[in-house]
Amino acid sequence: MKKIIKSTTLADRLLFLFLTVVSISGIFYAREALPQGNDVIIEINGKPAYSLPLDINRSVSVNGPYGVTEIEILDRKVRIREAHCPNRICVKEGWVSRGIIVCLPNRIVVIVGGGNERHRDIDAITG
Amino acid sequence: MKRLPALFIFILWLFFGFSCTADKPSMYKKSKALMDTFVTITVVAETPEKADKAIESAFSAISRFSNLIDFFSETSEITVINNNAGIRPVKVSSQTLDLIEKAIEAAEKSHGAFDPTIGPVIQLWDFHKGIKPPDNEIRRKLPLVDYRNIIVDRNASTAFLVKKGMMIDLGGIAKGYAADLASEELRQNGISSGLVAIAGDIRAFGTKPDGMPWKIGVKNPRQTNEKDEIIARLSLTDSAVSTSGDYERYFMQDNKRYHHLLNPKTGYPENNFRSVSIITGKGVHTDSYATAVFILGPEKGMHFIEQSGIDALIIDNSGRIITTQGIKGKVQLEENN
Repeated sequence: MKKIIKSTTLADRLLFLFLTVVSISGIFYAREALPQGNDVIIEINGKPAYSLPLDINRSVSVNGPYGVTEIEILDRKVRIREAHCPNRICVKEGWVSRGIIVCLPNRIVVIVGGGNERHRDIDAITG
Repeated sequence: MKRLPALFIFILWLFFGFSCTADKPSMYKKSKALMDTFVTITVVAETPEKADKAIESAFSAISRFSNLIDFFSETSEITVINNNAGIRPVKVSSQTLDLIEKAIEAAEKSHGAFDPTIGPVIQLWDFHKGIKPPDNEIRRKLPLVDYRNIIVDRNASTAFLVKKGMMIDLGGIAKGYAADLASEELRQNGISSGLVAIAGDIRAFGTKPDGMPWKIGVKNPRQTNEKDEIIARLSLTDSAVSTSGDYERYFMQDNKRYHHLLNPKTGYPENNFRSVSIITGKGVHTDSYATAVFILGPEKGMHFIEQSGIDALIIDNSGRIITTQGIKGKVQLEENN
């Protein structure tokens, strides 16, 4: 091993360093550049609890102060199917294909399809 | 070989240095669930620490305000006012009183097209289950809807609902007001450019780090897929925008769309437009005026816009986009719409 290192020139070592830095920085840049709009993120008490693909139909049960909240993913849409919070605003929200469903009493936030590549230059959406 | 560490640092600087140069203003964004929705605050700041402190301070201001006016909370000042309707005036904080006064102002200006006492009628409708209330039920509750029966006493700091059963629901104005409040809080924390988005109620001040205005997408009221979510883009600096649309909470029955924008005089939805976006200086105005213009309809609504000196982007029932003169050049329509 030492022999191999000794046989390298300064240019070789610099090239090695250069490639290492490119690889590491690539991770950070790719995270920014790639679309991330195909996930459903479920946060409980402000902390991410689940990250689920939007294209696989399933149901998830989450426990909260008002009992079990049922979150359903179907045909690339998400809804809170059942919740036992006082006003059930989250259930009334219905199906969401992109955006947020919030259940404040149960401290649950469902984030659907975050980054749409087409709208990366938009700072916010009204409507 | 001794120069190798220096070269290594130089290469690192090449990759990370440009984006991390100290004191160069950058955009920082943070979101939090507040007011039964998602609040996103974006600021331009020199350091992440400064941005974080300002954003957290703005979130706290929204949270404190929300606790005062939450219609669904058993302990909010609004609930206490509603529980004492027809009984006695209730002493409230200056912030709650200020918002009630602003709501009454919007109601007066729009001749009741926006009315914060619509609560008893709204409660009859269940847009999730798609239940249209019986006509006689709506008629029975309508006499409770009248902003002129809110009595505000500035000196005593009280609010009183004259008739028993009346309810104030500030949901049609509170988010815009909160966006103003948060913007002020950011400014007090040394932020000169920022964007507060409380669901669709947005307040912008200053510009982005490159000096460009903030870009706001206007939601397509008849979205069919992910690609046509946005119908237009607005360029905003130092102003607010809010949108009221017939697509937020609605159900279809007998080929008719029943949505949550109810006419306070009839108790039924108005189908004048698909959506109304209002652009003016403050969120408290955009929020309430968007509803008012939607209810007023094409003729009275346009008159209201002209009289108030505000700007609007309206999508009518045929899908036509109408914009006022003041925002010409600041609107970019999407190609696929």
